[in-house]
Amino acid sequence: MRRIRGAIRAISVLLLAAFAGLILYVGYSVYTSSSRWLTSGYNARLTHAKRTVRMGNITDRNGLLLATTDQDGMRMYSADPALRRAVSQTVGDTMSMSGTGVETFHAQTLLGISGSLIDRTWQYLTGKEYTGEDIRLTIDAELTSYISGLFPEGKNGAVAVINYQTGEILSMVSKPDYDPQALVNRREGADENGSGYLNRCLQGQYAPGSVFKVITLAAALENLPNVQNEHFYCEAEQAFGDGTVSCYGHTKHGKLSLLQAFSESCNVSFAEIACALGSDLLAKTAEDAGFNDNFRFQDLILYESSMEKGDLPLYDLAWTGVGQGTTLVTPLHMAMIAGAVGAGGIMREPKLILQVTGEGGIPRIRTGGGIYRRAFSDSTARTLSDYMRYAVERGTGTKARISGYTVCGKTGSAEISNDKSVSTNAWFVGFVEDERHPYAIAAVVEQGGTGGSVAAPLAAKALKMAIERNG
Amino acid sequence: MAKRQIKASSLMQVLLRSNTRLLLSGVIAFQISGMLLLAMKTSPPDWQALLFAAAMPCASAGIVRLFSALWKVDRALLILMLFLCSVSLVTLEDIARSAVTPWQQATHMLGGFLAMALGILTVRKLRRYEKWFLPLSAAAVAGVALPLVFGQWHYGAKNWIHLFGGVSVQPAEFGKCALILLLACGLANRPRMRQCVVPLAVAAALCGLLLAERDLGALLLYFLVTCAAYFAATGNLPVTLMGLGAGVAGGVLAVRMFPYVQKRIEVWQNPWSDPLDKGWQIIQALIAIGSGGLFGMGLGLGYPRNIPLYNSDFIFAAICEEFGLVFAVGLILIYVIIILRGISVAMNARTSFHMLIAVGVVVLIGVQAFIIIGGNVKMIPLTGVTLPFVSTGGSSIISMMGAFGMLLGVSSVNAYDEAEDLKRLEWREANA
Ligand SMILES: [Zn+2]
Repeated sequence: MRRIRGAIRAISVLLLAAFAGLILYVGYSVYTSSSRWLTSGYNARLTHAKRTVRMGNITDRNGLLLATTDQDGMRMYSADPALRRAVSQTVGDTMSMSGTGVETFHAQTLLGISGSLIDRTWQYLTGKEYTGEDIRLTIDAELTSYISGLFPEGKNGAVAVINYQTGEILSMVSKPDYDPQALVNRREGADENGSGYLNRCLQGQYAPGSVFKVITLAAALENLPNVQNEHFYCEAEQAFGDGTVSCYGHTKHGKLSLLQAFSESCNVSFAEIACALGSDLLAKTAEDAGFNDNFRFQDLILYESSMEKGDLPLYDLAWTGVGQGTTLVTPLHMAMIAGAVGAGGIMREPKLILQVTGEGGIPRIRTGGGIYRRAFSDSTARTLSDYMRYAVERGTGTKARISGYTVCGKTGSAEISNDKSVSTNAWFVGFVEDERHPYAIAAVVEQGGTGGSVAAPLAAKALKMAIERNG
Repeated sequence: MAKRQIKASSLMQVLLRSNTRLLLSGVIAFQISGMLLLAMKTSPPDWQALLFAAAMPCASAGIVRLFSALWKVDRALLILMLFLCSVSLVTLEDIARSAVTPWQQATHMLGGFLAMALGILTVRKLRRYEKWFLPLSAAAVAGVALPLVFGQWHYGAKNWIHLFGGVSVQPAEFGKCALILLLACGLANRPRMRQCVVPLAVAAALCGLLLAERDLGALLLYFLVTCAAYFAATGNLPVTLMGLGAGVAGGVLAVRMFPYVQKRIEVWQNPWSDPLDKGWQIIQALIAIGSGGLFGMGLGLGYPRNIPLYNSDFIFAAICEEFGLVFAVGLILIYVIIILRGISVAMNARTSFHMLIAVGVVVLIGVQAFIIIGGNVKMIPLTGVTLPFVSTGGSSIISMMGAFGMLLGVSSVNAYDEAEDLKRLEWREANA
């Protein structure tokens, strides 16, 4: 009997410990994450609050009004239809169709819901109309509108421009877009098939293609001593494990140095590098650069870039090294990677909110942000810059050149189907190597063709305009 | 010495009785105020809520009086369970889409009181329990196997059978009571290793059947209840740990083998990667919990219907939204108090059979509450079980109350034993 009692006592201690853990967990998680849960776009409760509160204004970095609430409580967006469409997914809409938009993700700010019980009670007792706070974004709306106009007619895709020294987002273009004003009075969407609501910069998970070679190259530089002096031999295709890896357009590159392999974007050479590294080292460098991370940024929701880990078969590993495996990236993250190369390896947390101004016009101090992580070592970043500079000067990225400025970058032509008649996704990632104009870009044009002929010139124009508009 | 102890314990009982009266008044106050508030939400007032406001206190007081008069059951335990039932009815009256839902739940609870009486009587009357082991095992295995033969797939599991007249039952729910009883029958009186084999084999067979039906929640409960009963009966820590280890290994294997288990783990790790499809349920639950804040949106003021399965699997999230975090933590504490009280009933029992029954029921209620609340708040992967006495579901309510009846039955046996002791002592003193 005594033995049974002892066992029962042990069981009860276990049960109580489990419940103590449960209570602590509930308290902790509500305390730390409830505001993230609340402001997620999937919260229908916010629609209710919008009826009782006068929502604050949204302006761009230059003070241009992007969204406001008129006398009748009606939400009004910019009068310029092209501009309003260009920033549509960034700003969001009253229906929360664009779940990552500022109108939804920062609804608590715009609606002035502080979440504190005292405020809520006070508002309830006084019954006065509540005015939300105003938000000034980091984006340059006119630049965004200009870049949106650069897109080839009828093509979809995304362009993200950031300042890699501050992390500020200057522009996010996502095609197709939609008209938020058309949503104000209509319950039906202004965009029939719904794909316009997606912010492809944040939510579009794309196969990176050759732009991933920046990561493979970084892994090689950090882990394979003397790799810079090695030579590769490309016969247009080569067997790896159960299959073959071939170069784009079946080009036979011949004998190549590492620098040439990168600037000519030779798949065979990079497949060889990936196999020499092994999946663990490749994955480690990728994860240092933010792959497979949940990206809990305070200003925006960014979907993760994912990369398969663990022991990959040789064939899969080879294709992963050239960006054609199961790896998926979000364009803003690619811009952050390019920016980290420009910033000596430091990756900044992306910033979308420049300022929040409450009632009385006093700007609220925003804390947090800053450095997200160190993506590359200082010396690796410097070498990566050299390689990317060469790729734009002499390699596949020559159309990304801007006269008077140094551009470093990497093109990509990502195959999205085994069917060769389907055009590749055109990619360009890169940055301006200039202290005064620290801009990084990632551009992807879906089924646009090759990165060098489609994405690179688009990126050059976008960066040039960014430089001109911001001194 | 012994006498003083008994006097002290009877003094405790007097104290407890006045405390239980206070406890019961509190529960009744909750029932009346909750239902009245809900009735006033509409004008004209909602008749069903008014009816509940009148009927629930009468039923509660009546049942406490009846059960303690008939069998001297532990009042505090009974009242705490009645409070959980009240939370269930108030929440359902508030959030359920159809007014029929709370009504059905109340009917099931009435059935549950009968099951409870049956549980008490079973524990009180059952003698020579070794003889009951085989029939019980046969019945449990046959019952749990039924859905495999006659059932249909439902939310990815095959654990229902449809009887005539549109009535559906989940045999695995009733199997829980049978499992506790058969383990107590088979493992009572400090069995040797060899004698444990048959009861454990029966439990393993039941787990295998549940795996085939893909009822993972029930499988987990059966497994843990069996481990706890074995450990309590034998005190054999190495074997218990080996059993638990085998369970963990089986779990890892299940994750590898079954894509649907893997999917649940992935959703649990990062629901935000697919917020509109796979992560939808848990994200809606988290949003609801976050919206409640400390003191809740207030009865009838939240939007808990945005949560899928808001009156069964996710009722805890709905309660968080309506009543707030403080109340929700209070609700968790009620389960903790039930566990503590149940453990003390087990400790006071005079036979190992009764101890095993009490500890089985306590572990069942505790673990079930833990895994569903933990699943709701994303502490552990979601496993579809009901929140005991609160979630909707006829089979679950009735079988849980049946199991609770067995615990009350043990408390009743304890009370009679103590009274007997007292009488014997007084008689001895009078004759000394
Ligand atoms: Zn090549």
